[in-house]
Amino acid sequence: MGRIVRTYKSKLGRAAVWASRVIVLCLLSTVLNAQTSVPAAETEQPVPILTGNAGFFTNVNGGETELVPSINPVLLVPLGDRWLVESRAEFTGEFERPDGGGPYGGKVEQEIDYLQLDYIANRYLTVTGGRFLTPFGIYNERLYPIWIRSLQPTPLIFPLGTGSSDGGMLRGGFSLNPKVNLNYATYFSTLSTVNKFESGRTAGGRLGFFLPGARIEVGASFQKELQDERANAFGFHFAWQPAAIPLNLRSEYARSHDGSGYWIEAAYRLSQVPFWQKAMRRTEIVGRGQQLFAGEISEDDAKEYGLPDVNTRQGDFGLNYYVRDGLKASASYSRRFNSDGNVNLWTLGLAYRFAFPLGRVGEQ
Amino acid sequence: MNTRVAILTAVLALVSSVYAATPPRKSENDRASISTPAVRSSAEADAMRIQGEQRFHANCGRCHTAPQKFPPRMMATIVRHMRVRATITDEDMRLVLFYMTQ
Repeated sequence: MGRIVRTYKSKLGRAAVWASRVIVLCLLSTVLNAQTSVPAAETEQPVPILTGNAGFFTNVNGGETELVPSINPVLLVPLGDRWLVESRAEFTGEFERPDGGGPYGGKVEQEIDYLQLDYIANRYLTVTGGRFLTPFGIYNERLYPIWIRSLQPTPLIFPLGTGSSDGGMLRGGFSLNPKVNLNYATYFSTLSTVNKFESGRTAGGRLGFFLPGARIEVGASFQKELQDERANAFGFHFAWQPAAIPLNLRSEYARSHDGSGYWIEAAYRLSQVPFWQKAMRRTEIVGRGQQLFAGEISEDDAKEYGLPDVNTRQGDFGLNYYVRDGLKASASYSRRFNSDGNVNLWTLGLAYRFAFPLGRVGEQ
Repeated sequence: MNTRVAILTAVLALVSSVYAATPPRKSENDRASISTPAVRSSAEADAMRIQGEQRFHANCGRCHTAPQKFPPRMMATIVRHMRVRATITDEDMRLVLFYMTQ
């Protein structure tokens, strides 16, 4: 009887110890969550915004002139402290003279680049669902808008691994220590043939390290196709903005079964030039070198994706003048070399970024 | 004995975690500065502004030129958008928002 009681007490004791361990672990996670799930810092309640950009560019590609008006509205609707609905549409006209002369005519492309719901779970994690820009490299997510990009022609490798995806994504950025920030994004995309919401079945992610002191970012991207050839794609990116001079260096490399290649771009603001300072500090010169190695891709697919189907080299030179906040005049010249024939590409135009509140904002 | 220590530890942890997880009660005066980092003096505000400017140039300047300052309620939305888009850290976002709304 005594043995049974001792055994019972012993089992009860062990159970209590284990129960207390479990409780402590749960409570520790609660405390951690309480410390990390502080709502986003906002001095005021955020208001819905309609922002985006509009532009008008004249492109001359190998002697053929094309007029390209575009408008890209971005709708931002914050909900509570942690939620955000964001969407960007793209309306781009491509107007050319018909063969034999006549007035300019053409079509207006309409796209929904993203329509997503974000939940900021804590300082480490944001959960996204819906249609989002595929996080592959940095150009697609960060540099694509016409008021941001330094050169209007997109890089040759831009179609590799990028575009939009329909599915779910986990992402975030946080400090590893005072000298290093880590940012990441990982996602799954489902196959969709719905008009304006087309996407492929893929999974992938991006990992980046940003050194705020040196203003250097390096990172890598990976994508696995879960349909058709089930091909892999990967890429690397690098960005450096030295504090001493107004220079912005960026570069990407990408490789997939459709092709591979790289681009290196330098944008230099002339604010340190000692003469005509009023004009010079608004002026930026840009240079980019790039190369694409064509992959296993048909001529039709290459045309659809906007990829050259032969090995191509290209040099780009640009000039930007920032007229005022959000308004930029841009010009660029590119020389393209490939076996289809070397051509000159010119662009000239204006890009404007707008932002309107969709509610009362009070005094600034 | 072990059982008592374990139970006592669990109770203490429970009480402390509930205390830690309870958000501070906000007064009406606090509502205008929801989750804003507490600024105790003008020197502290200046330091935060300088920090915010540095974070602004380090983070935002990587992709685009400095925009004008928008009203605070617009900036709160824009900064939330950029936090997601550019994976800006929580601390950077707070300091940039403080800088851009001063």
